[in-house]
Amino acid sequence: MLSASNAHKTNEIAVSVRGLGLTYTTAIDRRPTLKARVKTLGRGGKHTRVIRALDDINLDVEYGQVLGVIGTNGAGKSSMMRVIAGIIPPTQGRIEVYGSVSTLLALGVGFNPSLSGRNNVFLGGLAAGMSREEIQERFQEIADFSELGDAIDSPMRSYSSGMFSRLAFSVAATVRPDILIVDEALSAGDAKFKEKSLNRIKELRSDDRALILVSHAMATLREVCNDVAWLHKGKLVQRGDPQVTIDAYQEFLQVGKSAAIDEDV
Amino acid sequence: MSAPSQVYEPFRAGLPPLIRYWKSLWSRRRFIAEFSRSELREQHFDSVFGQMWLILNPLLLSAVYFLLIDIIRGSTDSARYAHLTATLFLFYLVSNSLIGGVKSITAGQRLILNTAFPRIILPISAVVIALFKFLPTLFVFFVIRTVLGLPYTWEMLWALPILFIVILLALGLAITISCINVYFRDIASFLPYLTRTLLYLSPILYEASALKPKLLKIESFNPLFPILDSWSRVLVHGQAPKISSLLVSLAWAFGIFLIGTYFFLSREREFAVRL
Repeated sequence: MLSASNAHKTNEIAVSVRGLGLTYTTAIDRRPTLKARVKTLGRGGKHTRVIRALDDINLDVEYGQVLGVIGTNGAGKSSMMRVIAGIIPPTQGRIEVYGSVSTLLALGVGFNPSLSGRNNVFLGGLAAGMSREEIQERFQEIADFSELGDAIDSPMRSYSSGMFSRLAFSVAATVRPDILIVDEALSAGDAKFKEKSLNRIKELRSDDRALILVSHAMATLREVCNDVAWLHKGKLVQRGDPQVTIDAYQEFLQVGKSAAIDEDV
Repeated sequence: MSAPSQVYEPFRAGLPPLIRYWKSLWSRRRFIAEFSRSELREQHFDSVFGQMWLILNPLLLSAVYFLLIDIIRGSTDSARYAHLTATLFLFYLVSNSLIGGVKSITAGQRLILNTAFPRIILPISAVVIALFKFLPTLFVFFVIRTVLGLPYTWEMLWALPILFIVILLALGLAITISCINVYFRDIASFLPYLTRTLLYLSPILYEASALKPKLLKIESFNPLFPILDSWSRVLVHGQAPKISSLLVSLAWAFGIFLIGTYFFLSREREFAVRL
């Protein structure tokens, strides 16, 4: 997936989403057990519920675009990112992806918290289909960017949440994919690191790359994006110029330009 | 415009495109190696004492069970001890695969929610780890067998196909149970009872030939029975295995592997929303 690919020209399609619908069944219990199932046997209780996450979404992302995705909690933003990344298959429609994708989704990097940061970066990269050499090449840059220092070799369970997300952001931002998907991860770390990651996002904006940013930080999106899509309850409400769309969204929220929505990333 | 590098479409019940799946699995073989290595390192098996423990643990186990047989039967001989160690160590390959495999998917939650990859590499890695733990015990067995003065024969080469069948069986079991654990998270707590039952049902603490014919019928339901019997025949007694035993165990291993893999592959695209 992250193999080298040809240079992409501006305005070529990077991601094409057609008629995307996503409905899935999930367990009601956070931890479904056989015991619970046997206990409620014969009582006919429900154990799963059906979630309609996305409904008939059409969306094209072109190279050179920086698309901000906004919407209230549960609007389907993260689900859409997962479908584009190929983690969840769609229920309806078709998604075409032209190029390599790197994702930085809400959960960040890391796989086994008892392994060191270094091991987790390698395992995550290998699982994503990179070769050991490719990861080795970039590892120093990742470690430097994350500013973790020696902590990179200690188990990730000893990390603070800020360290966790700093490493996650560093991995995704260092890979230099054709298409980068960042889901609410810009809030990594302290103000200094926030500034640094925002600068990196700006650096990554280029004609041969497509960026998709999911965020609640309207000020940042206004500054960085050249296109914004607004999702609400699984539907695409509005798409277009960042200022116009974000204004409409904020009016919808009836909070206007309050501090709460502008302030954080 | 060039062709898309990835296309995601709805799937119907059933298998993903197998050739593409295999390719993407094969391209991630380094993950399996790296994962097993870091997992073993985390369990300190890269240190001298860690490796000693890998050898000491099965030795102590076999000593305990040997004591048990000795007390119950009141008599012992060297071949019996060799039989016990050979089969017990192979049994632990299977049971370690199960124990490692059961939580492989649920423990890989973060990775599954963040990355698209063939999920089956997680239970496969669990079996590879179990195999790495098995190899030193095999060495211990050969030391024991040499000390006991058991003769070496060419028939012992049958151990290789037998080991292959056991690995296939272990893969099938690990894949199946890792998938079940996504839907019922408490399977892991039932696992000790399952492995303990399997241990007593298998010809480990006794030899298959010592069983009453009535009990032998029950054993046809134990997938481990024919293969452990063949393993002991080959490695302890230096005889060729019964071909019928081999075929039965191959059928068991293939059956469990195919059913488990089908079950897993047809459900793995759902794991991300189930975790």
